[in-house]
Amino acid sequence: MASVEDRVRQVTARVLNVSGNDIKPADNFAMDLGAESVQAIELVANFEEEFGIEMDEEEALGVENFGSAVEYITKVCKEQGIVT
Amino acid sequence: MTTTTTTTPTKTHPLVDTTEPNLLEDTFDYDLPPLIKFEGPITEVIDGKPVEFDPRSVKTRDIVVTDTTFRDGQQARPPYTIDQMVHIYDLMAKLGGPNGVVRQTEFFLYTKNDRETLDRCRALGHKYPQCTGWIRAVKGDFRLVKEAGLQETGMLTSSSDYHIFHKLKFKSRKACMDSYCEVVDAAFEAGVRPRCHLEDLTRADIEGFVLPFVDRLMEMSRQVPDELSVKIRLCDTMGFGISYPGAELPRSIPKLIYKLNKECGVPTERLEWHGHNDFHKVHINGATGWLYGCDACNTTLFGFGERTGNPPLEGAIFEYIALKGDLCGIDTSAITELADYMRSMGLPIPDNYPFVGKAFNSTSAGIHAGGLRQDERIYNIMDTTTLLGKPPRVSLTDKSGADGVAIWVNEFFGLTGDDKISKIKVHKVARWVTDQYEKESRLTSISDAEMEVVVKELMPDLYAKHKGD
Repeated sequence: MASVEDRVRQVTARVLNVSGNDIKPADNFAMDLGAESVQAIELVANFEEEFGIEMDEEEALGVENFGSAVEYITKVCKEQGIVT
Repeated sequence: MTTTTTTTPTKTHPLVDTTEPNLLEDTFDYDLPPLIKFEGPITEVIDGKPVEFDPRSVKTRDIVVTDTTFRDGQQARPPYTIDQMVHIYDLMAKLGGPNGVVRQTEFFLYTKNDRETLDRCRALGHKYPQCTGWIRAVKGDFRLVKEAGLQETGMLTSSSDYHIFHKLKFKSRKACMDSYCEVVDAAFEAGVRPRCHLEDLTRADIEGFVLPFVDRLMEMSRQVPDELSVKIRLCDTMGFGISYPGAELPRSIPKLIYKLNKECGVPTERLEWHGHNDFHKVHINGATGWLYGCDACNTTLFGFGERTGNPPLEGAIFEYIALKGDLCGIDTSAITELADYMRSMGLPIPDNYPFVGKAFNSTSAGIHAGGLRQDERIYNIMDTTTLLGKPPRVSLTDKSGADGVAIWVNEFFGLTGDDKISKIKVHKVARWVTDQYEKESRLTSISDAEMEVVVKELMPDLYAKHKGD
């Protein structure tokens, strides 16, 4: 199975229409990767679907960069018993 | 070269830090409109002397709303049918509640339809609003009042020289006053209480005509039983009245009321304010009347009346509740019923009209929608769901964002509390809304009908669960 980071990268690239190879952990979704308001919502929705998890709306939307997203999703998967 | 003037501060204000919010709930009790509280008396300088008024007296005085929807209100629109007036009267009774906050309404008496309307309203058996008449200041018209079995009638007693000389063509003020008093005598003889409408009062010679006339009316009233004693309606016919402290007569509402109440001795329960909105002051002027000693505020539904209209009845109702600090038996849901009914009759209530306009508690802005989702009180004036049957809404545009879409979807499915879905779950609909403007170059807002079609397509499971399709 692909790693959490790889899967987050694939979803991010698809939703934001950017090259997955160019995404770095410190990249801010809005400022570096160009995520607009509705795209931030779509990212969270697609992460939930990809990993089969439910994320807290406020917490999830508070995650600002790619690296933090990987950490947050890993944590949530563990809390919700999802094998990654 | 410019200079700046600095003012020396007179007080410093240390921060009162807290980690718990102070929501000022003793004033902003969400179950009621925000309460109006007064710290102490108001001082007005009248004839060079300071005079105190205590606005806190409204809590204990029997202030009331009176209505002229079927009279002044009808002067601004095509006539109502009898059935319409009877239904509106019925809803007014419901609105005012058992304590009769909507205390009286007035009817024309000249035609067969006028009389049938009055009879059918009275046949409903409501104690309030009490039915009163409205006639010209003509002795013969009291026959109509008596035949109708009414105990009180309004009659025009115009008070400005514009009316006395140019409209009514009296040769002198004395001739005018004598003529009015003859009609008042006729009222007493007929056993009917006259309500003298001092038309165009805010443009009249108060000391030279109005006060002498009211003095005479009070003297006449002392000769008859109390239930016949003259009532006075202060008519701000052209909307010239001013509520500001320190304003001059004849426009000063505080001074007018003081002179009639204290100098002429007219009790507050026999003083009524009637205004118009030509300078956008109509609601505040009506409330000012209450504060300074007119127990009655004369209104029309949704402010429809002559020219720019009258104090809106529903505005007076919410002001009443805010001043009293209690619903006092009022059923505010009747306001929405009345609005829906009158709208169905073709009455054009603007979308942004307070309390009843389609968009009165609607936001288009996503940032406001976000606030509403966190705590409805942030961007809603009071519990409009309970008080008016109207939860806060969003009007969807390019500014609404996913927060706006989430509010719309939750309201559409009737989801409340923990059942509400987050804005994450409406992402497909939010994307559709965004694309309407960014890809399709749409310029109009999105209607509820369109949204229903989109939600049915993009959220089929939720739609099937809650709409049964």
